[in-house]
Amino acid sequence: MGIFNRSSAGYEAAPVEVQVERGAITFFAETVGETNPIHSDVAAARAAGHPDVVAPSTYPVVLEMAASKETERKGQQEVLNLIGADMRYLLHGTESYSYQGLIFAGDTIDIISRVKGFSDAKGGTLEIAHLELEIRHASRGTLAIAQRDLIHRLPKEAAA
Amino acid sequence: MSNAPQSAQVGDTLPLLEFGPITRTTLALYAGSSGDHNPIHIDLDFAKRAGMDDVFAHGMLSMAQLGRVVTDWAGIERLRGLSSRFTAITPVGATVTCTGRVAERLDQDGEPMLRIALTATIDDGTQTLRGEALISAA
Repeated sequence: MGIFNRSSAGYEAAPVEVQVERGAITFFAETVGETNPIHSDVAAARAAGHPDVVAPSTYPVVLEMAASKETERKGQQEVLNLIGADMRYLLHGTESYSYQGLIFAGDTIDIISRVKGFSDAKGGTLEIAHLELEIRHASRGTLAIAQRDLIHRLPKEAAA
Repeated sequence: MSNAPQSAQVGDTLPLLEFGPITRTTLALYAGSSGDHNPIHIDLDFAKRAGMDDVFAHGMLSMAQLGRVVTDWAGIERLRGLSSRFTAITPVGATVTCTGRVAERLDQDGEPMLRIALTATIDDGTQTLRGEALISAA
């Protein structure tokens, strides 16, 4: 039953180094409609006491995608692939961030992905993967922890 | 009305935020700027093969709006947590309206905090996201 590769529970990926880029933050901030200039204007960010433009609240998801692409480039297996996610049936159930520090353009960070486990819902018609992601800076420590539930709405032949 | 976080009371509402209408261009730009290239949001042929009538918006695009409701009001420096449950799909063409309301005042390790209840709703009244934020009220 199910499509997820449940033997991946407990997996922790090796840290993936990602550069936080000013242009990328600005592009993202503009796309989501951010109007606070600390996310797009270095002078405004510095005037507010920050070293460079500040990553918006949901930026951890962007850093995760960057880490995942970097993992693929190295020829290693990224988490969606590892857990056996099928994009045709995949839904995003929940996303949760806890913040311990701001992320700035110019930061070099490490991303650590973990597969926490799997569960079933709605009489076996849904299966859920529980994932976690840590964003760590060499001197400032853990900046954010993201938790995510991904859901397969199972086609009949894969349901329990 | 919206007091500053330091003096906000349970029941206070944050300024409303509207985003949209969400076009296919919005989704292409969000895919590009976020790195989320899941074809279900940008490739109609793929969406149809997956049994959908059309592509639909990234849930995270709406969650970014919930984040803005809070950070526009309190500043990102106060943000300690942000979470969301994606309760319905956001179709192309939708305008998302986001609300925030002070749900609780609490103390965490000696720091005064506020729990903010958040919602995102589309034009036909369907609630698409339900979330909450935790901010410092110091």
